[in-house]
Amino acid sequence: MTRLIEAEEGSRQLFMGNEAIARGALEAGMKVAAGYPGTPSSEIIENLAEVSEKAGIYVEWSANEKVAMEVAAAASFAGLRSLCVMKQNGVNVASDFLLHLAGSGTRAGMVLVPCDDPGALSSVNEGESRHFARLVEVPLLEPGDFQEAKDMVKWAFTLSEEIRNLVMVRSVTRLSHASGNVIMGNIAESKNLEAETKNSAFFKHDGFILDQMEGAVISAPVTYKHGQQHEKLKKAIEFFETSPFNTYTGPENPELLVITSSVCSLYTNEALQMLNAKDRVGLLKLGTTWPLPPKLVAKHLKMTDKILIVEEVIPFLEESVKTLAAELGPEIGVKTFFGKRDNTIPSTGELNPDIIASALSGILGIDMEPVPEAYTKRAGELAFLNAPVRDLTFCPGCPHRASFWSIKNALTMDNREGFICGDIGCYSLAMLPSGFSALKTLHSMGSGTGVASGFGKLGQFGLNQPVVSVCGDSTFFHSAMPALVNAVHHRSNLTMIILDNSGTGMTGFQPHPGLNEDALGKDAPAVDIEAVVRAAGANVTVCDPFDLAETRETVLKLLEDNNGVNVLILRQICALSPEKKGKKQFEMSVDENICVGENCGCNRLCTRIFSCPGLTWDREKKVSRIDEVICAGCGVCASICPLQAINKKEVA
Amino acid sequence: MQVFGSKELLEDVINRDLCIGCGACVGRCPYFKSYKGKTAMLFECDLSEGRCFAHCPKVEVDLDSLSTTFFQKAYDGNPLGSYMEILGAKAGDKIAKAEFQNGGSVSALIALALETGLIDAAVLTDREGIIPTPRLVTNAQEVFECASSKYMAAPTLSALNNGIEQGFERMGVVATPCQATAVAKIRTNPVKRANFIDPVNLVIGLFCTWALDTRQMLSFLSDQPDMADDIRSADIRSMDIPPPPEEVMVIETGTKKTKIPLKEIRPMICESCQFCPDMTAEWSDISVGAFEGKPGWNTLVIRTKKGKNLVEEAVEKGYLQVEKIPEESIKHLAGAALNKKRNSFIKNVEKGLVNTGEKEGRSAIRLSDDVLKKITAQKENAV
Amino acid sequence: MTDVKTLSHDPYNLIITGVGGQGNVLASRVLGNMLSNKGFFVTIGETFGASQRGGSVMSHLRISKDKTCSPQIPRGKAHMVVALEPVETLRVLMEYGNPNVKALCNTRPIHPVGVITGANNYPDTRDLKSWIEELTESAWFIDATDMAVKLGNPIFGNIMMIGALASQNELPIDRKDFEAVILAAMGPEKTKINLMAYDKGMEMAG
Repeated sequence: MTRLIEAEEGSRQLFMGNEAIARGALEAGMKVAAGYPGTPSSEIIENLAEVSEKAGIYVEWSANEKVAMEVAAAASFAGLRSLCVMKQNGVNVASDFLLHLAGSGTRAGMVLVPCDDPGALSSVNEGESRHFARLVEVPLLEPGDFQEAKDMVKWAFTLSEEIRNLVMVRSVTRLSHASGNVIMGNIAESKNLEAETKNSAFFKHDGFILDQMEGAVISAPVTYKHGQQHEKLKKAIEFFETSPFNTYTGPENPELLVITSSVCSLYTNEALQMLNAKDRVGLLKLGTTWPLPPKLVAKHLKMTDKILIVEEVIPFLEESVKTLAAELGPEIGVKTFFGKRDNTIPSTGELNPDIIASALSGILGIDMEPVPEAYTKRAGELAFLNAPVRDLTFCPGCPHRASFWSIKNALTMDNREGFICGDIGCYSLAMLPSGFSALKTLHSMGSGTGVASGFGKLGQFGLNQPVVSVCGDSTFFHSAMPALVNAVHHRSNLTMIILDNSGTGMTGFQPHPGLNEDALGKDAPAVDIEAVVRAAGANVTVCDPFDLAETRETVLKLLEDNNGVNVLILRQICALSPEKKGKKQFEMSVDENICVGENCGCNRLCTRIFSCPGLTWDREKKVSRIDEVICAGCGVCASICPLQAINKKEVA
Repeated sequence: MQVFGSKELLEDVINRDLCIGCGACVGRCPYFKSYKGKTAMLFECDLSEGRCFAHCPKVEVDLDSLSTTFFQKAYDGNPLGSYMEILGAKAGDKIAKAEFQNGGSVSALIALALETGLIDAAVLTDREGIIPTPRLVTNAQEVFECASSKYMAAPTLSALNNGIEQGFERMGVVATPCQATAVAKIRTNPVKRANFIDPVNLVIGLFCTWALDTRQMLSFLSDQPDMADDIRSADIRSMDIPPPPEEVMVIETGTKKTKIPLKEIRPMICESCQFCPDMTAEWSDISVGAFEGKPGWNTLVIRTKKGKNLVEEAVEKGYLQVEKIPEESIKHLAGAALNKKRNSFIKNVEKGLVNTGEKEGRSAIRLSDDVLKKITAQKENAV
Repeated sequence: MTDVKTLSHDPYNLIITGVGGQGNVLASRVLGNMLSNKGFFVTIGETFGASQRGGSVMSHLRISKDKTCSPQIPRGKAHMVVALEPVETLRVLMEYGNPNVKALCNTRPIHPVGVITGANNYPDTRDLKSWIEELTESAWFIDATDMAVKLGNPIFGNIMMIGALASQNELPIDRKDFEAVILAAMGPEKTKINLMAYDKGMEMAG
């Protein structure tokens, strides 16, 4: 995607939100970008990595988000503009450093882009990163469309340098993963004072202790620096009062003022069109959402008595506006607020034009123009009765299906009610029936092994169930390593199973420290998981999960050992990896003469239980059948069939 | 009997901890597996009828129906079951001295049956380390490798299922009472398969008062400081409970003999054994056990014509020597068997597992109410 | 070739639906770029990530002469549904359909895991067709996957659907627009086979 850098100034491109963000950083002369993969943020680093050589920038996939932020901070300290990217959960991981960084301040512009996922479209939570701006007291910007995604990121670097502190630009799934038209700015003429004047990075550190630009970069003396930080925020507010990212559209004296931000401004706009209510409702779209500019907000609050605040998940904007309204009370009078606190807007899940239109129609007393009721009813009926739900499942050829098959079987055979503590990755799907409902705890990155480490110490209180944790190879480096070390050191009884599929599968196969390739696809020294585990002092076994029998026996054996930590590495490359994708190792077929279908005591084990999408049930012939379009040719199902009716033939 | 599926088996047997892990359900389908004495159901199976349920010795055992099939009469509750003759026996001169529990009669009879072609394979219980494992054998040498008692619940019948898959049609089975019950059920073709062939031609039952939980026993022995090494290296030679009054189990490993008081062993008895009414493996051709008061000898309960013929041939060919057994010993044996029967039926009734009507659901055991009353009304015998 | 110069609706709302792995995202990008290159404002809303793992995937395309739209189409407001998988058409019509919507469907089913396990049924193709016809103003059905397999890879099904869409004169797009976008995105080598797929699609729906 070289157009990210080659698209000419003034040209109009169809860009994904994440591409727009990346372009904005390039236009700002950003030199260092670091992040950890996480939907919906991953394409920002991916796109930057692709153009890194041409753009003369450094890009890395860091081991985790905290390290990513530290790497980016170093660039800022050395006078280079830097960008740090992560999904919302990543901000939690990075938050300890984030607090201290906000306290010490930055030098060259540094921007943090967290991508939130309202509605948890591809997350296991709908956590919020906006909190963190208020929590650590740094400015927060929220782009409302694709053009703003680019422009705001670019401006955020300027703001960061104006106040010498980190600036957060928060995106959401419906912006990051949506696309729209963006007019390009100039990359070559962008201003980056530090980099241009010095033309090289240098870390000044021997200046006066209180000199943020030349002394040591630390957050002490704390109250002095904290006070400085507040001055910086005041300065940010001044910029915000006149920022072009805050816009008002609508009549001078609207019946209702809607205050919104982010992609919700597009939804609200659409809703107002649907209701034909643009002449009745004012729309204050805020791009600078923390700290709020009080004069600007006061000016608009004065326009009317009824205010609706539209935002996703927590009432963050709502609370900020209400705080200001309370302070401005004598000046603006008493207002009626609609929002999340009075349930006008739902507090969970993502919003859309319909939800907002329905909220508006309630307040304004407008009937919504519906689709003919008979149509809705008929379509609903037909879909409800006839469109079978599409549950998520492991891909055809996915090593995880095979791994969980064997682990689950071993735990069941072992018969002591052993369980698996899950972790974050594609293998989180093992909490669903298509992963044999194998996971019994599932929290944050790396926490499977941490929780297991705790379970493994409960023997003295009578817990004698076998404890297993799973984690992916990328997750291992991200945050499971400390948990492993903890478990080994405390002789916790557990079996840690590392599902090593050679990449960060869930987010699109980004490299991690265990691979001999970096974000740019260049050669990099691989950190050997096996050696790390061994050095930590745990026993380690390596097995191919496609060998079901051996894997099961190995797990059974490890479950027997109640003397500390055993690690099993189940190594098999992801079916979607560039090495494997589209290439079948085996041509699979079902011998209809051997498969006895419904008459078999196996009760359709292959399709009913193993349930790989590549192996379907032929309802007419009543036997199983390979769907050659979907089958990935991994060959595993051949060892599921008790009658050996599934054949595999090596593809030449 | 009415046949149900694995869901009901799970409810009635596995979830109630009545499963003794005999292996009858293992190896006929991919769902049941044995591991360390326990049977596990790997995944849910929604077939409404299955051999897993039909063959299980812990659910819907109709004693009248079995008795009618195998002994041509209604079940009468005799403590020792139906039999023709009781003898003392030990392996004869033709049999090389092996590690026998008592008299070596079982090995001798099975070896002979294999040699004469009475059976085409034998279903036995071998041992891997301390863990009993099923074994399907076809020659005498292998029979002797499996000699000696295991004292632990074993999935022996998975070897029978394995033998059926392999096409053996006249197998001999050496079975504990629960296993012999399962074999009897298997032989009645409860799922009414067309082309059914009785895969068994000889059942030699083993006396049994209880079996130990394999995993508990394993962890108990591993915790014994002086045994842990031998357990880890799986170097177990034999296990024996010498006759009273010693009250110990003797475990012989490669390095030593260790005596463990029975009072430490008893807590590891499988829950299921308390519900078992059968001490002498009544559903067999010949049942074999210790000859109390005569070390090195066995008691033989000969139940069928086939069993009697085999014993006679064994004596004739020097595989076995027999002698009369004192009436007092038989009385003593019957007393012990009655105690087990009586106590277990009382427990079964308490738990609502006997002769339940349609409303209450499935039974573990069915027999006539009169016989049930007769058994439970008897006084406990001083043994 | 089309001679449509303007949009029949503004914004024109098009949904491309399918199952993870069918090339939904690529199809929406290609189509979006074809229209963007013509000067239209295009907004594409889509989700991918976890939803790719066997789940339904949907892209919303909003095409306008003068504005960026919400990346989510309001309920009942679709003008055209392009379905890479037939049952997904029903699912989309339930939320976004209306009596004037049109649909273009690939007839090749991909069974959800619930159908594979036997918990759910997959409807008969003839029934599906009649329901889709009932719920749309007009509907076209082509077996794009089978033809794509003949071309060497089922993944070309998505490009065939774009060709098929172009043949319907619903949108101001033509082969040249397609060629330009594919060339820029994939280079000359892959353009040839993609053009073949596009032409096949046009032919099948025409």
